[in-house]
Amino acid sequence: MKKKIAMLLASAMLIGSMLPLCGTSAVMAEENAEELEGDITFWHSFTQGPRLETIQKAADEFMEENPKVNITIETFSWNDFYTKWTTGLASGNVPDMSTALVGQVAEMISADALLPINDLIDDIGRDKFNESALNECAVDGNNYAVPLYSHAMVMWIRKDLLEENGLEVPKTWDELYEAAKALTKDGIYGLSFPCGTTDFQATNFLNFYVKSGGGSLLTDDLKANLTSDLALDGINYWLKVYNDCSPKDSVNYDVLDQATLYYQGKTAFDFNSGFQISGVQANSPDLLEYVDCYPIPTINEGDEQNGITTSNQPMVIWKNSKHPEICREFIKTLYDEDTYVEFLHATPVGMLPAIRGISETDAYRDNEIIQQFEHAESVIADQIPGGTAIGFEHGPSIQAGIMTNQHVIEKMFQDIITNGTDVETAAKAAEDELNALFEVAQ
Amino acid sequence: MNKKNRTRWLFVLPAILLVMALFIYPICSSIFYSFTNKNLIRPVYKFVGFDNYISVLTDKNFWNAFFNSVKWTVFSLVGQLLVGFTAAMALNKVNHGKGIYKTLLIIPWAFPSIVIAFSWQWILNGVYGFLPNILVKLGICDVAPSFLTEKGLVFAVLVFINIWFGAPMIMVNVLAALQTVPQDQYEAAEIDGARSWQSFLYITVPHIKVVTGLLVVLRTVWIFNNFDLIYLITGGGPAGSTQTVPVYAYDMGWGTKLLGKSSAVTVLLFIFLIVICLAYFAIISHWEKEDK
Repeated sequence: MKKKIAMLLASAMLIGSMLPLCGTSAVMAEENAEELEGDITFWHSFTQGPRLETIQKAADEFMEENPKVNITIETFSWNDFYTKWTTGLASGNVPDMSTALVGQVAEMISADALLPINDLIDDIGRDKFNESALNECAVDGNNYAVPLYSHAMVMWIRKDLLEENGLEVPKTWDELYEAAKALTKDGIYGLSFPCGTTDFQATNFLNFYVKSGGGSLLTDDLKANLTSDLALDGINYWLKVYNDCSPKDSVNYDVLDQATLYYQGKTAFDFNSGFQISGVQANSPDLLEYVDCYPIPTINEGDEQNGITTSNQPMVIWKNSKHPEICREFIKTLYDEDTYVEFLHATPVGMLPAIRGISETDAYRDNEIIQQFEHAESVIADQIPGGTAIGFEHGPSIQAGIMTNQHVIEKMFQDIITNGTDVETAAKAAEDELNALFEVAQ
Repeated sequence: MNKKNRTRWLFVLPAILLVMALFIYPICSSIFYSFTNKNLIRPVYKFVGFDNYISVLTDKNFWNAFFNSVKWTVFSLVGQLLVGFTAAMALNKVNHGKGIYKTLLIIPWAFPSIVIAFSWQWILNGVYGFLPNILVKLGICDVAPSFLTEKGLVFAVLVFINIWFGAPMIMVNVLAALQTVPQDQYEAAEIDGARSWQSFLYITVPHIKVVTGLLVVLRTVWIFNNFDLIYLITGGGPAGSTQTVPVYAYDMGWGTKLLGKSSAVTVLLFIFLIVICLAYFAIISHWEKEDK
């Protein structure tokens, strides 16, 4: 009996002694559950040195804090990115997270390739973001992308050339054409009109004209709209610019070819975001003091213009990801004030904050370029809320993505310029081709 | 099957599997998808019979690309043969420093296509390109020529670049063949009073025609299928004036994502090249029989 009691006591003591251990194990298990572990791949298109470095630095810091996490970063140019993710999706070789273009996110959602990230946005603070920026990549109440930074398309000018020629900053499209024509001399082109079929620059430029007149390249029922009077006027306008103010090679230009001309002081006007500043700084630092931007012209003087094309640079998490929890945590760290400001400073004025409360901070304003280009920054910031991605004035749609990614409008311009095809015939053919592509995609 | 035969099969099995994986599978999958409406980014597809073939064969852009491909192949091949052959003949007569000349002449072939494409793009750029600007400065042109965007010029320019790129490969192979021609035959011909063109026609040509024929077969297939040089320099533009069948197929599959239709294009291309190769091989086989 004594033996039995002794054994019972011993067992009770053993169990008792193990209880705290169980508790410890439970705590440890909880800690382990919170500890991130795994490899993720991050594709992005921040090809410029400083942006690349700040993202790499953020990843390195995240890996230091989470030693069991490995982040592999792969970089692609924007032009290559579309091919990369479409072929990747076909072969099951997509990353865990990536940047994207808004127009492409609609296609990614349609292909059921992305994870909803409502919880991530809530964690960062939904009210910090511009609602329209979040809605650009939302379907049925699910957010599929979080904007990392914003920028808007504006008209870039060369102050010195305008002053030398006694010209004012153009406010209407007609004034812009006249000024560009007057400045096309001595090895300078007034304004280059790019319509290479490896990019969507001609669509972008036509969209400026049409939206400034209150129109859209898509109808309300999401059909292509290239034969409206406004669209035809726009096509004719850009053909006039091509013939009188643009280098002939621009028929094959992509965004980089186009921007390079402005960076090198070969064009007097251009349309782009604040990235022009870093481009000019890198290529022709002597010209930096003569560079500034203004809102995109309107058709008639005094017309209201509150923004045409805005880009809210989306970050997405792919459905194929084995570690979406790591992606979420890593993306969150990108919005930590110090990291975020450092990232924005990588191309000052090129990337404006996508969350409220950053642009007013001393840390953000403590940058030479941001101070020098205060006017440019305010012009871009004013244009951001009123603009949308191309075709997104009707909300996010796969049609808008197809319109920018299939280069049908670029082919239309090339057909008119190279083959002399009648404008209305070419516009109708392009409209039909786009509508056929819309149908196939649905 | 006896043990010896089994061992043989065991040795060649890895190669067979590799060929199956890398050669047979892509061809079979292209043929399979060409009968479907497969979209690059959608997993679901259905059989559509010959719809893709009908759609491609009735598309005027396909025929434009096809005739561009034929022109591109014929002009490039003839140019490469002429330049490569001439360079090889000249190099064969050089006694000193042949290795250095050969190395220098083969440089274009040694560069990756992307370097060549971007270099030529830079040289020919209508705004800041070296060549257009030097032509203006020398007073040869009033305005800088648009080598890469002028419809009448761009195709010829691309063919020129392709000749510059491909001729060294022909040169090296023809030179190697020339060096196998027995010198005593030339000496015998000279003693018999043969002129140099007669020596070339009756001694040189018979010795190198099979090698040249094989080169023509290979180059025809490579040039016809060439994608990178054209796509990187002009993207098939302007307005499809330099669009060849491979560029058309790429735009179809990776641009519009119509993989089924793109597969139909590649199958048609495959059939066309098989027919061309069979014709070439028949000619080469005839030459070989003549030699025997």
